[in-house]
Amino acid sequence: MAANENSLADHSGKLFESHKGYDPRIVFFYFVTAGLLLLLAGGLAYEQLFKSEIHNEKERTQNQRLIIVPAPRGNIYDRHGQLLVGNRPRFAVVLNLDELRAKFRTEFIRIHGNYRETGDKDIPTADQLWSLARVSVVQAYLEQVNAILGRDLKVDPKRLGNHFARELLLPYPLIEDLPPADYAKLIERLPVVSPLQLYTTNTREYPFGSAASQTLGYVGINENVESENFAGAKLKTFKMRGSIGRDGLELKFDNTLQGEAGGSIFRVDPAGYRLRETKPIESRLPVQGKNIVTSLDIDLQLAAEQAIGDQTGAAVAIDIKTGEVLVLASKPDYDLSKFTPRLSHEDAADISARGAWTNIAIGGAFPPGSTFKILTSIAGLRRGLLDPTQPIADCQGYVRIGNKTFVCDNGRGRHGEVLMAEAIAHSCDIYYFAAGRLITPQLLAEEGRRFHLHQRTGIELPNETGRMIMPDPAYKERVIGEKWFPGDTANMSIGQGYVLVTPLEMACFAASVARNEVFTKPTLIHHDNAPVQRTESIGLTPSQRAALIEGMVGTIDHGTGSALNIPMFKIPGVRIAGKTGTAQKEITKDGKTGNINFAWFLCFAPADNPEIAVVVMLEGDTIGETFGGGRNSGPIAATVLKKYFEKKNRPADQKITTPFKTD
Amino acid sequence: MPKRFDQARPFLTLGLLVAAWLIIPTVFKVFTRASFFELTAPIGVAASYARDLQEFWTLRLHSNSELIEAGRDLARLNASYDLAVQQNTEMQGEIARLEGILRLPSYTGFRSEHARVVRRDFSGWWQRLTIRKGKNYNLVVGAPVVFSGGVVGRISEVFAYTATVDLISSQTVRLAAVVEGDTRPISYQGGLNPTFGSAGGVLEFVPLDIFASANSTKRLVTSGLGGVFPPGLTIGAVIKVEPSTDGLFKSGEVKIDDRLAALTEVTVLIPISSQ
Repeated sequence: MAANENSLADHSGKLFESHKGYDPRIVFFYFVTAGLLLLLAGGLAYEQLFKSEIHNEKERTQNQRLIIVPAPRGNIYDRHGQLLVGNRPRFAVVLNLDELRAKFRTEFIRIHGNYRETGDKDIPTADQLWSLARVSVVQAYLEQVNAILGRDLKVDPKRLGNHFARELLLPYPLIEDLPPADYAKLIERLPVVSPLQLYTTNTREYPFGSAASQTLGYVGINENVESENFAGAKLKTFKMRGSIGRDGLELKFDNTLQGEAGGSIFRVDPAGYRLRETKPIESRLPVQGKNIVTSLDIDLQLAAEQAIGDQTGAAVAIDIKTGEVLVLASKPDYDLSKFTPRLSHEDAADISARGAWTNIAIGGAFPPGSTFKILTSIAGLRRGLLDPTQPIADCQGYVRIGNKTFVCDNGRGRHGEVLMAEAIAHSCDIYYFAAGRLITPQLLAEEGRRFHLHQRTGIELPNETGRMIMPDPAYKERVIGEKWFPGDTANMSIGQGYVLVTPLEMACFAASVARNEVFTKPTLIHHDNAPVQRTESIGLTPSQRAALIEGMVGTIDHGTGSALNIPMFKIPGVRIAGKTGTAQKEITKDGKTGNINFAWFLCFAPADNPEIAVVVMLEGDTIGETFGGGRNSGPIAATVLKKYFEKKNRPADQKITTPFKTD
Repeated sequence: MPKRFDQARPFLTLGLLVAAWLIIPTVFKVFTRASFFELTAPIGVAASYARDLQEFWTLRLHSNSELIEAGRDLARLNASYDLAVQQNTEMQGEIARLEGILRLPSYTGFRSEHARVVRRDFSGWWQRLTIRKGKNYNLVVGAPVVFSGGVVGRISEVFAYTATVDLISSQTVRLAAVVEGDTRPISYQGGLNPTFGSAGGVLEFVPLDIFASANSTKRLVTSGLGGVFPPGLTIGAVIKVEPSTDGLFKSGEVKIDDRLAALTEVTVLIPISSQ
């Protein structure tokens, strides 16, 4: 055996390839191989250790989907806790398409087979077959619902196709806004475990219909609901439609009302279908938005709106001490319930045709007419240019200023030599033409600016107009490019000509005069212990102020606002200080040119210890129509005041009125 | 080799049987399954008859005095029921008259069929019952089942002589309920209940102005709106409601009558339209 082994060793070089323990070329390849292995290991380590987060994120992005569910918006209440805007549930029956993958496939094969069996040469394309299969499967589920509810609904292929392409993971609504009876039937008769499910969304609810519509505002559809601080920010996201404020308080306080959207992260297969095992990887419930308590008093608001009726105009009532707005009415308005779930084109066109989009109380600037005489009086008194005990003109019903004749619109004859209080009560234009000449337009404008009548009030509403004007000669020169004439001063002193203000500004002005201060900052947000507003004093002496108030009380007692003296509007034990105003504006309508009137009424009450200021402005729509502040606007203000004092004198437990229902 | 084949024969046979089971038509499988239930059903039915016999002889042991006393109590009870039946008949007439005036659709009419409980499903006895009537009494799937304390559940399967009832504590049962005195429908569904604990259910879509607690429960009844159950039957007591974070609704818990676990007799309400 040993001999044999030796023999083999001896001949190894000839019979077998011998193995060398050391070969430089092989050693080289060892290094090459080791280097390559190290490279692989390094690459692996790099990918696994250093780039693991990137890969995790990629895997996550590919396999996970985020569904965002909007939160219900916060409610809006009036100052006494009456619900003005809330949410109501909308019940829908939906189909979870992502659970039907197998059924779609089976149906696809069946339809394809049918085409082949019939020998039809025009076999649809694969995409068309998939579409047919989806419609067929969804229609089968819809038939289950039809059978329960006794309906005959059909699937809309286009809508289904869009939903499938863009919102596969979101439930596909088969029927929305189910009435309670249908919803109850489906609860009992649909299988508990099924792709068919009952689903609730929410929509805005307006218990008072059109009340304060432009102030409360409306919401629109929000296609891009954001979910902050949710881990799946980079994932492919399906968003359910939410709502977003489009006007009024809904727009201004959108962030507060919006709430916190919820959401869920699901794992999906490569085709995007939700995996069957599956609870969400992460889930968060939506949280309702914060509520808002407005300063509005819905009873007063309804009283004002019903009093305005079908006329065009606005009414504003302000709590004199706090500046809280109790009424912000504007007509024409619109029924907010028509905005849910969405406003139809017809209704939108109707609102546009009636000019109801604008909140006249803040969005319209009008000449204030004779209500401006209060400001003229203050400007003159404060500078000592007017003395309440001295007449400054002899009203003979007209006066010539420059080369124009100005008449006293309120004279109905002649006022003669009146003192200021009587000039206010009877709204004597001749007295104020003279006062304007004494004060000068510059000082009048300066006084107006002192009362902030030249700028927005800053109320918490969008679209407050900036078209208010407190003109002076420099303004006319700059904007119109003309010289200021004495007639312009005459017009300005009685609140006409270039002077433009909003009803809300005049309400703030009335509140300021009542408080004997120069500015009232209006607010629509109610605070139980809102502080009393304190600004600069007007600067009248007690006797000057007494004359001013005497004139305003006289307006109601025996002057141009005496329509409020009839028993229907009389409030026992409450003296009202007011001022009427009727301004004109030349318009051309239906080919006819002439004047329309703006009828104003400004007041506060009680005159001795003021609590509430009210301003009403009605806009005439017919050329030549007789339309006056005392006759038309005064009664509306009286209605609001009467309601206010009626509520105030009620026992505490009866302060809230039953909601006014609109059918 | 033959020895190895002998060893593998059981596996081969099993494989062949499995293959055959996979290949044979579904109709045959359904038939086999139904036959199995039909064939085994008499065992349960026979056992329940035996129990009835046992109870009968137990009752025979009572003295004549006890029986006379029980008979007297029963007569009194019958008298009060007779009165209630008369009042109900009168009220039904009034309801029909009002429905006619208001042109409201009338609720579905039902025929009642009393049935003995054969057995309870011991894997979850509070979830399913088997009753001693089936197709032979025209019972139908989905028919509501009630007892003197309210709703028992719904029939889920009907066999020749027996039927299976899903109890309202089962997660597969969902009802349109209302809180007594309210008209807004609420979704009631059986809960995830422990096998031998007291059974309950869950409420969804409860309006925000409904309040209830363990100390101040509210009676939950059928709404009648779903069309399956007549209105006003007791489902249970609402022992808890709490608002959901979305602020739209509340969710709640319902405690179900403990007698459901010991029922011996139930009544099946068969919709008259289904006959």
